[in-house]
Amino acid sequence: MTRFVENSIVFPYKRSLGPVIGAFMTGLTEQRILGIRSGDQVIVPPLEWDPQTGAELDPDGMVEVGPAGTVESWTWVPAPSEQHPLGHPFAFAFIRLDGASTPLLHAVDTGAPDALRVGARVAPRWRGSRVGHIGDIIAFVPGEQPEVDGPDSGPAEAPVTMMDYNASITYRNPVPPVLDRLREASRDQRIIGQRCPVCERVYSGGRGYCPIDAVELGEEQDVDLPHTGTITNFTIVTPVQYPGQTETEPFARVFVLLDGTDVILPYQPVVELPVGEVRVGKRVAAAWAPPNDDIDDAGAMGGAYGHLIGWIPSGEPDVEDPDLVNRIF
Amino acid sequence: MGAERTAVIGVGQTRHVSARHDVSIAGLVREAAQEALDDAGLDWGDIDAVVIGKAPDMFEGVVMPELYLADALGASGKPMIRVHTAGSVGGSTAIVAAKLVMAGIHERVLTVAFEKQSESNATWGLSVAMPFQAPLVAGAGGYFAPIIRAYIRRSGAPDYIGHLVSVKDRLNALRNPKAQLHLPDIDLKTVQESMLLWAPLRLLDVCPSSDGAMAMVIGSEQAAAAAPGPVAWIHGTAMRSEPTMFAGRDQVNPQAGKDCAADVYAQAGITNPREDFDCAEVYVPFSWYEPMWLENLGFCPEGDGWKLTEAGATAFDGDIPWNPSGGVLSSNPIGASGMIRFGEVAQQVRERAGDFQVPLKTGKALGHAYGGGSQFFSMWVVGNTKPES
Amino acid sequence: MRSLRDVAVVGFAQDTAVKDRDRNEVEIISPVVREAVERSGLKRRDIGFTISGSCDYLAGGPFTFVSGLDAAGAWPPVKESHVEMDAAWALYEAWVAIQTGDVDSALIYGFGKPSLGDLHEIWTLQTDPYTVATLWPSMVDLAALQADVYLSSSGRSDRDLAEVAVRSLRNAQRNPYAVVSEDVSVDELLGRPVTHRPLRDTDIAPITDGAAAIVIAADDIAKRVCERPAWIRGIEHRVDPQHLGLRDLATAPSAAQAAERAGVNDGAIDVAEIHAQFSHEELILREALGLADGVDVNPSGGPLTSNPVMATGLVRIGEVAGRIMDGRAGRGVAHAAQGPCLQQNLVCVLEGSN
Repeated sequence: MTRFVENSIVFPYKRSLGPVIGAFMTGLTEQRILGIRSGDQVIVPPLEWDPQTGAELDPDGMVEVGPAGTVESWTWVPAPSEQHPLGHPFAFAFIRLDGASTPLLHAVDTGAPDALRVGARVAPRWRGSRVGHIGDIIAFVPGEQPEVDGPDSGPAEAPVTMMDYNASITYRNPVPPVLDRLREASRDQRIIGQRCPVCERVYSGGRGYCPIDAVELGEEQDVDLPHTGTITNFTIVTPVQYPGQTETEPFARVFVLLDGTDVILPYQPVVELPVGEVRVGKRVAAAWAPPNDDIDDAGAMGGAYGHLIGWIPSGEPDVEDPDLVNRIF
Repeated sequence: MGAERTAVIGVGQTRHVSARHDVSIAGLVREAAQEALDDAGLDWGDIDAVVIGKAPDMFEGVVMPELYLADALGASGKPMIRVHTAGSVGGSTAIVAAKLVMAGIHERVLTVAFEKQSESNATWGLSVAMPFQAPLVAGAGGYFAPIIRAYIRRSGAPDYIGHLVSVKDRLNALRNPKAQLHLPDIDLKTVQESMLLWAPLRLLDVCPSSDGAMAMVIGSEQAAAAAPGPVAWIHGTAMRSEPTMFAGRDQVNPQAGKDCAADVYAQAGITNPREDFDCAEVYVPFSWYEPMWLENLGFCPEGDGWKLTEAGATAFDGDIPWNPSGGVLSSNPIGASGMIRFGEVAQQVRERAGDFQVPLKTGKALGHAYGGGSQFFSMWVVGNTKPES
Repeated sequence: MRSLRDVAVVGFAQDTAVKDRDRNEVEIISPVVREAVERSGLKRRDIGFTISGSCDYLAGGPFTFVSGLDAAGAWPPVKESHVEMDAAWALYEAWVAIQTGDVDSALIYGFGKPSLGDLHEIWTLQTDPYTVATLWPSMVDLAALQADVYLSSSGRSDRDLAEVAVRSLRNAQRNPYAVVSEDVSVDELLGRPVTHRPLRDTDIAPITDGAAAIVIAADDIAKRVCERPAWIRGIEHRVDPQHLGLRDLATAPSAAQAAERAGVNDGAIDVAEIHAQFSHEELILREALGLADGVDVNPSGGPLTSNPVMATGLVRIGEVAGRIMDGRAGRGVAHAAQGPCLQQNLVCVLEGSN
């Protein structure tokens, strides 16, 4: 039975708009929809350049269109997503606004699909509080007259130059079988790797394949790895703040060469080892969570895996080997 | 069957800044492209094909943004290709564009590379937690610091060598009006006193995060003859890749980099890079990568890279200037950084580098980019004379 | 323009699965690459150039193609590149590399695991980031709008769409890599619900994880390793502007341009594999490519029955090449597309005789 780990990534963006898109967005706060002249055409939404010739379009040639227009084609969205403009079923439509040469894509809110047809006249329903975003128009609604939803807080005080954009996408990742074997092994305080049947290199961390020979490594390639090793290299990170960074103090990630093998465990957390005492040649041993602890799969991303929570000083004297530091992977 | 002679006939770039809040994404890209067209004396209609490069789409949150950029780049009805080879992408993109001309398929190809990192947070963009993968732990510096430590131990380099590069490249940037960082007061002490981010890397040893774009027009022999100004002939191009991690991989001095350099030198007739080039623009996002790449690229024997840096050989007035433009340490719109290297050496051999022009003796220069875990390499050699074949 | 080198497809392999398969990208790619190389008769080390096509956003992290390299056998180091495009464009870049004389053969692979995220929403992010993506029309919403435009301007009906779906589903019964297949009549299908007006679920490509790999080789090498190589007679690609209002969505001008330049109709076409992810797209593309009525379109079942995103276009080339290599077809055309509403198109003409 395949297990899955959900991983929602919220992508926050701040977009600068430039003169043409900026003017379009500013116009929306004023309940005006602007197009731009290109030859004898009026393009809506406006572009900064003519796609056919590459010629620059003059921001001074922006003209107001609509507010009402005609539906040219449409599709029905019976089950809107969280990010769709409306929470109830609606239409996406190409709407030719009066005075425009090109149709605009937007939502049309008619309640039911049989209330909509090609040629229908629609007008914008404006948001009361507008920020300079295509969503300042909640949707187009049947009729000739624009309407405002709720109290009208008026146009933006200054020209709109920036726009927030939040994209949220959820990924559902199947857990590779090799990682489940690693996790189960860690519950018994075992560290397992896979030995490539061709080149005999041993890989750690559940790679599932040998990049040299490009062959997959299955359960029959599992081998037990030792629980002691030597730090070959490390990185001390002084955290800078970004979404998802939970550390605030400098922390270490170490590379551990397992005894009697050629195997490096990269980016391992350390336990009871202060940042100032992390050094090449330091001897360490595996540190384990109690067997009954619940292990969060997300924690697997920290470098160690399952019940292996990191590496603790073993108290043995340091290893003096000038080549150790070269062992990063 | 040899390739067609091919040249850079126009170069353009934006000024690189931490945030270009006055333009859209298309506006940024377009600015560099327009300058390259103007430089080549061409209009949008003269372009046969467009090749676009950039690093991960997550930086701007537009999937395959070339599709949206087609409108701004006059690409309607033309072939358009999007390249993505991690940090080496700017160089790879230029090479893909050059090959379209070398193959005799097109006469004039516009190539652009960009990144608008201010749209998001680059450190975050690179550190998105991927399930079941070793994380980069807080940005690329966390990945590269251990490799730098290995180099220092291996070569016996004094600990200030990296800081010398940080100072040198920032002083070079003062000559380059398009560079992002202009730090006139920088010296060894300022670098040594800057915040320790990923030991041994300090804040000033690390590249900035930039909005910027680079563009070139690459043309055939015929297009070069019609160009209004001098051109930079392409004497060789090469790309090499190797896997990220396996036991025995040398991350400090990667084989792919050595193979890539050997390939491009053979094409360009380079036997002693330190003497045969007038300068090099090499991808150095962390200061220590200058001595490391000096060795990897064969400018000196292994272990001696830091000695060249310390002796000032790579300084603006040294015998082999590296990164006279200020390099990645002074401007880093990630997807464009490789193409900036490639374009800046073209400008050098065209004698168009302005205040950071180096004297031309051999008339040849090396452009270099790398990416991923020091595993993707792209390089080209340009010269002021037409290649023999 | 100087004369081009003759280049042929000499090996092809693919694998697909419905969503929720537990293999990661590397595990999906690796056997496919190995099989394509084995079939080519070339040794991996003798293949001059390696290139892939994939999309970071499908897996939700930067640089997903980097681990893909582990499946390709990149040690000792290889001449290698990657396009953030369908791998059909990677094949184009490989073909160009051979034309320069730098290499004589190439391995091309593409892969996608769209079951991880919401593909239809991820593709929203391909649209204009200011005025379109902000409304979150999904890939299916946009395709449904295009279908509405096409049906009203062409005078066709949803019966025409159903005919495309029925033939695709029937053909897919013979394709082990199809993830849906069915023997169903047009009338029966028309009785099923319209889910995205005017489209039914059978008009929409299924979510498919998968990978494909092709080996191409030049001139004498192709003749030496392959009894009947599938020679690339023309390969061209073009892009349309994205602005949805400026395009006539009932047509695919860039597909027509590419088809004309590639010489699709310089000879009779026995087989066409078309990258149509929606039934109406096949109808638009038949017109753009100028295909005669009798042409066998998507005998594999096409993307409506198997759509390994980022490899789907490459699979089209492989399917046509496969039919030429085994003698079932003499001359065929493969088509790849990407971008909202068929914005970007590639056309490749393949022939058995040299």
